Amino acid sequence: MGARSGAPRGSEPASAVTAGTAPVLEVEDLRVRLRTPRGPADVVNGLSYTVGPGETVAVVGESGSGKSVSVLALLGLLPARVATVTGRAVLQGEDLLTMKPERLRQVRGPGAGMVFQDPMTSLNPVLTVGRQLVEGIRAHGDVSKEAARSRAADLLGEVGLPDPKGALDRYPHELSGGMRQRVVIAIALSNSPALLIADEATTALDVTVQAQIIDLIENLQADRGTGVIWITHDLGVVAGIADRVLVMYGGRCVEDGTVDDVLERPAHPYTRGLLGALPDLARPAVDGVVPDLATVPGTPPAPTDLPEGCVFWPRCPVRGDARCEHEQPPLVQIQGLDRHFGPSGLPHRAATWCTEPTSDTGLPASGTGSTALGGDR
Amino acid sequence: MSSDVLVSVRGLEVHFPVRGEGIRKKGAGVLRAVDGVDLDILRGETLGLVGESGCGKSTLGNAVLRLIPSTGGSVHFAGTDVTSVGGKGLRELRRRAGMVFQDPFASLDPRRTVAQTVSEPLEVHGLRSGRRERAARVGELLELVGLDPAVAGRYPHEFSGGQRQRVGIARALAGEPDFLVCDEAIASLDVSVQAQVLNLLRRLQKQLGLTLLFISHDLSAVRHISDRIAVMYLGRIVEIGPASAVGSDPQMPYTQALLSAVPLPHPALERERKRIVLRGDVPSPSAVPSGCRFRTRCPYVFEPCDDVDPALQPAGAAGQQAACHLHGVVGTPVERTPEGVTAEP
Repeated sequence: MGARSGAPRGSEPASAVTAGTAPVLEVEDLRVRLRTPRGPADVVNGLSYTVGPGETVAVVGESGSGKSVSVLALLGLLPARVATVTGRAVLQGEDLLTMKPERLRQVRGPGAGMVFQDPMTSLNPVLTVGRQLVEGIRAHGDVSKEAARSRAADLLGEVGLPDPKGALDRYPHELSGGMRQRVVIAIALSNSPALLIADEATTALDVTVQAQIIDLIENLQADRGTGVIWITHDLGVVAGIADRVLVMYGGRCVEDGTVDDVLERPAHPYTRGLLGALPDLARPAVDGVVPDLATVPGTPPAPTDLPEGCVFWPRCPVRGDARCEHEQPPLVQIQGLDRHFGPSGLPHRAATWCTEPTSDTGLPASGTGSTALGGDR
Repeated sequence: MSSDVLVSVRGLEVHFPVRGEGIRKKGAGVLRAVDGVDLDILRGETLGLVGESGCGKSTLGNAVLRLIPSTGGSVHFAGTDVTSVGGKGLRELRRRAGMVFQDPFASLDPRRTVAQTVSEPLEVHGLRSGRRERAARVGELLELVGLDPAVAGRYPHEFSGGQRQRVGIARALAGEPDFLVCDEAIASLDVSVQAQVLNLLRRLQKQLGLTLLFISHDLSAVRHISDRIAVMYLGRIVEIGPASAVGSDPQMPYTQALLSAVPLPHPALERERKRIVLRGDVPSPSAVPSGCRFRTRCPYVFEPCDDVDPALQPAGAAGQQAACHLHGVVGTPVERTPEGVTAEP
């Protein structure tokens, strides 16, 4: 929809990446523990990353990996009764985790906006689109109702809703899923946040609508220099939008690096497993036969019962190092193997005792690998 | 009808009456969920059916198995008319054609053990007499889908999503069917578990000689598992052909857009790719456009599209068919350029 929909994706070079400017968000050793009936659950275990202006960081993982909880914790959206959050999360110079609730409320609009997965449940069904937008705008600025309303209409136009003025008076159920998600994005952007968090923002949408929404966010990001955290389980989406990727498993970051390094030269057995398990249109049949998908055996660990040692070892196809079962591997720069050392020269880290050359299929070569990890950052 | 055809669908329609909005409008609308589908499913093949939400793919799957009544056209399963069969014939159809549902959380009875769930079809169809024979068969079926027969006494909540889906597959296989409809059978599963279930379905299909109708919105998964792919848009099949052809050289503009919108996990490739972003939303199936139903969003729209509803016709070199005027009203291809297209060949 709208004028910008025809623009080819990725036409902007991924250059704005932390080029000397101060990061929008700096997360350091974030930990979240939840009280559950089955005992304490360590959902996020020491997560550190930064998001630069105009940069998109993708957080990837399967259900239960802690990816959503980690961002809910940043914005203070977890119930304090059950959640204990520690670490530091500095947004534009202020630590979100030690902030007073009133200050946090102020920060949420202009500091960070959030787009949730399901536009059906994240909009209020009994309020018009206009009221929900105006509420957000007036909460963060001394704006008259009329001015807020005209700003709301502008925003709806910007996100590509046809007839933005008319849309103000419509209820969420009158809009399609894609249109609703545009409204949610308009609300998230209404205070020009420095950081936009999209939590599975396109998962509930059809691929053609997903393409429209991704286009939209990329264009808005290019215009405004917004930093984006994109949480998803879809590695295809990641390839198209991310500058950097962080792979989560069992509440830990098991691999991070540039999108090319992580997807084309994955170092962690879990990342390789995920990529191998993906049906891939770009790798079609060999002699008319589509090979079986590689699978990761077993299921992810429960956060109430994380394994000792490496979180992934019980499912790991290449485990074999004596330390796997007892010692947690640190997240360190991958060295010693040229194929792992990305042409970008940017950090590419993995937390594993067992890393080995990637075969051309992106799957681990057979046999247990010798450790190629060395040094620290 | 060729003997190779197991399921033959002709002019199938599933229309639902729509009530008007407010008190003034009297319910005069019709929602055309499935609107004239012709389809042959060959014995032993996996036919993938893709389309976006609301295109009617699930309704088509349900109507083929007569889980919902159709309002027009016919479905023949191994020679029997599915739409009119009753009594013993219907029971036999239920045995020979099974369904694997999307949500493994909702499609299993939470108060019945796995053994009870999987053995019910055995009892209903009288396939194994005696409790011991049934228990043994349940064990076999669980093993077939990669579960430990020892779990037979457990309840659904004790299983993960992927394991539940395996139970659902075991239940569908209990009647020793020839034909399975898998309706978004992997949609609610995590990537690594999806791969396990896809591999399982492929193995079972080969091992048991099953015919599969694999319904999904995920083109990559459909491409992976299918021999042929049918693409559905607004209640109609708009392209059909060998999976490799539809997946790499689509002939219908809608399939082209759909394919170009599928994100690929290759960053370099993604940066190069031109994405065809379609205008607007899918029209409502209660107000299907005249002529070609894709014309309101088609980048190639030209003269005949407004009035003439295109039928499936040969398109491309690889043997697929597309319902599109670009391939000529009588089969002569038309020079294609987006927006300003001329009718001259």
